[in-house]
Amino acid sequence: MATLEKVDVAIVGAGASGSVFASVLSKAGKKVVLLESGPDWQSSDLISSDFWGRRIKPAGIPFTLEGKNPYGFAYQAGWGVGGAALHYFANFPRYLPNDFKVKSEHNRGLDWPINYSDLAPYYDKVAQEIGVSGDAQAEEIWRPKGEPYPMPPMKTFRNGQVWVKGLESVGIRTVPAAVGMNSIKFKGRPACIYDGWCHVGCPIGALANPVVTYLADARNAGAEVHALSTVTRVLTNESGTKVTGVEYYDVKKERHVQQASVVILAAWAAQNPRLMLNSSTDKHPKGLANSSGLLGKYMMAHYASGTWALFDEDVEPHMGTVGAQFMSYDRYDKTSKKDAFGSTYIVCGTAMKTTDLGGFANARLDLFGQPLADFMQSAKRGITRLTAFGEEMPNIENRIELADGKDEFGMPLAKIVHSFDQDAVALWNANFEEGLTVAKATGAKEYWSARGNQPTIHLFGGTIMGRGAGDSIADSYGKTHEIANLWIAGPGLFPTEGASNPTYTIFAVSQRGAEQLVSKWGTVAG
Amino acid sequence: MSEIERRALMKGAALSALAFTVGGKQTLLSPHQARAENVPFRTLTQQQGDILEALGETLVPGAAAAGISNFVDQQLSIPPEEALLEARILNIRPPYANFYRAALSAIDRASIANNDNRGFAQISASERHKFVDLMRQNKISGWQGPPGPFVYLVMRSDAVDVVYGTMDGYAALGVPYMAHIAPTKRW
Repeated sequence: MATLEKVDVAIVGAGASGSVFASVLSKAGKKVVLLESGPDWQSSDLISSDFWGRRIKPAGIPFTLEGKNPYGFAYQAGWGVGGAALHYFANFPRYLPNDFKVKSEHNRGLDWPINYSDLAPYYDKVAQEIGVSGDAQAEEIWRPKGEPYPMPPMKTFRNGQVWVKGLESVGIRTVPAAVGMNSIKFKGRPACIYDGWCHVGCPIGALANPVVTYLADARNAGAEVHALSTVTRVLTNESGTKVTGVEYYDVKKERHVQQASVVILAAWAAQNPRLMLNSSTDKHPKGLANSSGLLGKYMMAHYASGTWALFDEDVEPHMGTVGAQFMSYDRYDKTSKKDAFGSTYIVCGTAMKTTDLGGFANARLDLFGQPLADFMQSAKRGITRLTAFGEEMPNIENRIELADGKDEFGMPLAKIVHSFDQDAVALWNANFEEGLTVAKATGAKEYWSARGNQPTIHLFGGTIMGRGAGDSIADSYGKTHEIANLWIAGPGLFPTEGASNPTYTIFAVSQRGAEQLVSKWGTVAG
Repeated sequence: MSEIERRALMKGAALSALAFTVGGKQTLLSPHQARAENVPFRTLTQQQGDILEALGETLVPGAAAAGISNFVDQQLSIPPEEALLEARILNIRPPYANFYRAALSAIDRASIANNDNRGFAQISASERHKFVDLMRQNKISGWQGPPGPFVYLVMRSDAVDVVYGTMDGYAALGVPYMAHIAPTKRW
């Protein structure tokens, strides 16, 4: 075992949130080490292929997946630097003011301890930092005024344009989708060329993944990344009042201890609680910072109601980005659908490849043999999809807890238990119905719902933020209530999930947290 | 610089193609080439390879010639973290060979039980089609193995991959591939 020289900050995970903390802290002069369980991917590793793109996702996970709607882990997750944001779609919708006060306004779910106005400046800051394309003014029909985006909207294509009329027919307005992609050259990174390979990683840097943005900045400021280094425990002092560092194993399965003044857990919503539960001591018998018993609780996922439409005209399904071309918040009110509850966020205009879970060969999963071959011929020019993301309310029964069995490093596996409640099922169904109405109005030759098992998309909760140790694990900056130098970053902090794609909000919450840590460094790390 | 020129510029930094063992030497081949050259399986048995090929061709015409069995076999023989199989993102726990062996065995057992003692590779094309249609709906009586609809999803994905997911597959379908970084050997 090697005990490494103490650093100011050890960050567990080099994905979206960890990279933001690394950038802000290293630029503030802190000595930062990121410990990442996967490889140190370079942009040149991001091959344009659905096969090769699977390498940047985990192969075998240390979780068992249980419940009525088991969580679809590996497709969502990252493995290596950049994390899931190395292959994300870079849709950048914000959360809206109604996302932060669900409990207060509807007596459902939970409240965030902050308001939209607390986060708004950080949305604007992130946009300027890493580049967002869109039309902020157009979005302001749904949200408070903010700063313009630094780039104009992306190009649109027929596969997106064909939906607009249909959406308008049911009163759904669309605006250019906000995306973390370059519509023009930005800070030395080139403009997008609309080849639709975003989901396997953008090697030219037109898409704002962490490797070419925050993590690059962090490295330039001196942060070190230790790849293939798997953290198994957070270490505490004898009195349990402070963390002292982390234990991790390298690729040769040799144990190391990285001492640090501050530890930031940024290993995604599933792994953070697993680590904290596995770090229990006699002073923290239920896991670190878990006097509330809420560690690992309130896990949430989005779900999507997809509507496929097949046109006679060539809508160029292969063109564009995997992010959206148009977006709408017109069904974002929590009560916009009768007999259901939760927000819906609608997007259309998505470049489509042939294979993988999102490919158009899966548009008709019931087809095989010659009928599938015939379908592929008709779909290659005429197919497109509308997607409505739905919100799930936090449910304490949806949880992560340690399980029997151990991983290759001797760390207990964990189980993720997840089931959608009646409201989520009702909203999913209602969004399918409206999708068909919209599709009919487009004049498509054929249209159908992408029904199957209700999918789980994105992951939230498990280490939620709140006002104190009685109702949550951390404060709104990510500082745990019980151990001042143990911080949490990422979507695990979210007490509710909204319906918007989360990464823009992950960046904004992390930027806010990281700046707070810098400003309070003396009291946190002292 | 035009977009086409930029795409061309980005080509070149690709990872190696699939490595097959031919005559004791590692050779880079496409699965189609590996099948054509009768490259022996490393992990699957010949019988399992035959079942997988028959199943693949039933699921997606062209999967047999595209080398589905050689593709899957090669992928099962490498470390899971290097694997390109869709099994990886469907949360199948490595080693992936365990799933494939169980699934192929279940298919053959069910075929023998329901088709006059004939395995899946021995029944006719129309019988295979009917079998798969029942399997995807979880309607095969006496099925023992991983759930039939999940087996259908995984194997269909593999067949779609080898027929429609390669650069050659895109070209045959008539869809522009437009790689930023092209896979070598048109994979």
